[in-house]
Amino acid sequence: MQAEMNQSGLTQTISAETINDQQSDKMEAFLSRIDRGERIEADDWMPDDYRQQLIKLITMHGISEIMGALPEKEWVPKAPTLRRKLAIMAKVQDEMGHGQLLLRVAEDLMAPLGKSREDIMQDLFTGRLKFHNVFHMEAPTWADAGVIGWLVDGAAIITQTMSLDSSYAPYGRALQRICAEEKFHAQHGESIVLELAEGTDAQRQMLQEAITRWWPSLLMFFGPPENGGITSNQQLNMRYKIRTQTNEELRQAFLTKYVPRIFHLGFTLPDETIHFDEESKMWVYQQPNWEEFKQIVKGNGPRSAHRLNLREMSYEETKWVRDAILAYGRKVG
Amino acid sequence: MNENFDIYEVFSQKNQSSSFAHQFSLLAPNAEIALVMARENFLRRDQCINIWVVKRDQIHMTSPEERGNLERLDNKSYRETKGYGDLQARWRKHKEAYESKQQPNVREAGER
Repeated sequence: MQAEMNQSGLTQTISAETINDQQSDKMEAFLSRIDRGERIEADDWMPDDYRQQLIKLITMHGISEIMGALPEKEWVPKAPTLRRKLAIMAKVQDEMGHGQLLLRVAEDLMAPLGKSREDIMQDLFTGRLKFHNVFHMEAPTWADAGVIGWLVDGAAIITQTMSLDSSYAPYGRALQRICAEEKFHAQHGESIVLELAEGTDAQRQMLQEAITRWWPSLLMFFGPPENGGITSNQQLNMRYKIRTQTNEELRQAFLTKYVPRIFHLGFTLPDETIHFDEESKMWVYQQPNWEEFKQIVKGNGPRSAHRLNLREMSYEETKWVRDAILAYGRKVG
Repeated sequence: MNENFDIYEVFSQKNQSSSFAHQFSLLAPNAEIALVMARENFLRRDQCINIWVVKRDQIHMTSPEERGNLERLDNKSYRETKGYGDLQARWRKHKEAYESKQQPNVREAGER
């Protein structure tokens, strides 16, 4: 990287070193802002790897919200009462709204790279962009709709509450809105779950089966445990205060909050070894199959192809609407 | 898509006593659709009596470099109520001095 300047007849060459020095000054100022607990805005200078980490995290989060609406959307026409139907419709709409918020945050980060929402959608369709493992799974019964609201949204609240303090201010502001609504989602799920738990034997059995079915996916939700060795990816996110807790810390918080409640309702987990170890103050549990996790997020889960097709079909079929409002928009300014 | 859709910043007013507050931003082809989307995206629950949408490129803002200069200096107490914290105590002193002077008169009045 060499730039030449012609000044008062003398040709001065700014060496790559000078430019590197300027970059490292900026980097130093950036890191001390992070260390002081200041937060970064979209138009502030930021190192490339900070921007890349945020784009990866926030597009994945945003797309997961949108893909997350699909398993629940299946239950809108089949909800057991009108009130339940209205509530689950509201939830599906919220999830799409969360996707909109997060994609806007991602787009502002991607704009300097010449990328837009279209690139995000294409990356999703070609499988380059991953979404949360839980949204690749089946939701065959009404109890699944309840468990998704109660435990999947419960797990999401735990990670998102951590990210409220993210060093990237626009993400934190989006999450403030999202977390408030996720609390409604979790209560909506709890309400369905309690109804079934207090119901007939058949209803209780349906719920037990849903809990058993979702358990490995819920453990996987937080990502593989660090086992003492934190990945460079996580280290970077911690250094930049994009996140402040490890996968395992978040999973432990989830277990502390939800395992007792599952037991209080008289249900069991498909893990006879699970217990809280008083000495280490940690939950001890059977690891899910992490190889399977990799396959699922790669797009080889039970419903991955179906839901991606649905998303792509809906995107293609509504293209004429976007084109029409665009043509109309240009006309009226 | 962003090449064609504009970014709109959305503001809303909760009630007539409150000021407009920034909500978030959205993509829309024109202001009319931006207003509809603003309700869908950000105001599904919150109370609201009015919405503004503004094209982001119409907003002039402080540059990141200049933002540092916005920081208040720490010597502006003369502009703030907390710079006048001694007033209460001084008023009390005057009141007490006055009242103690009044005491004998009050007693005399009682004796009469």
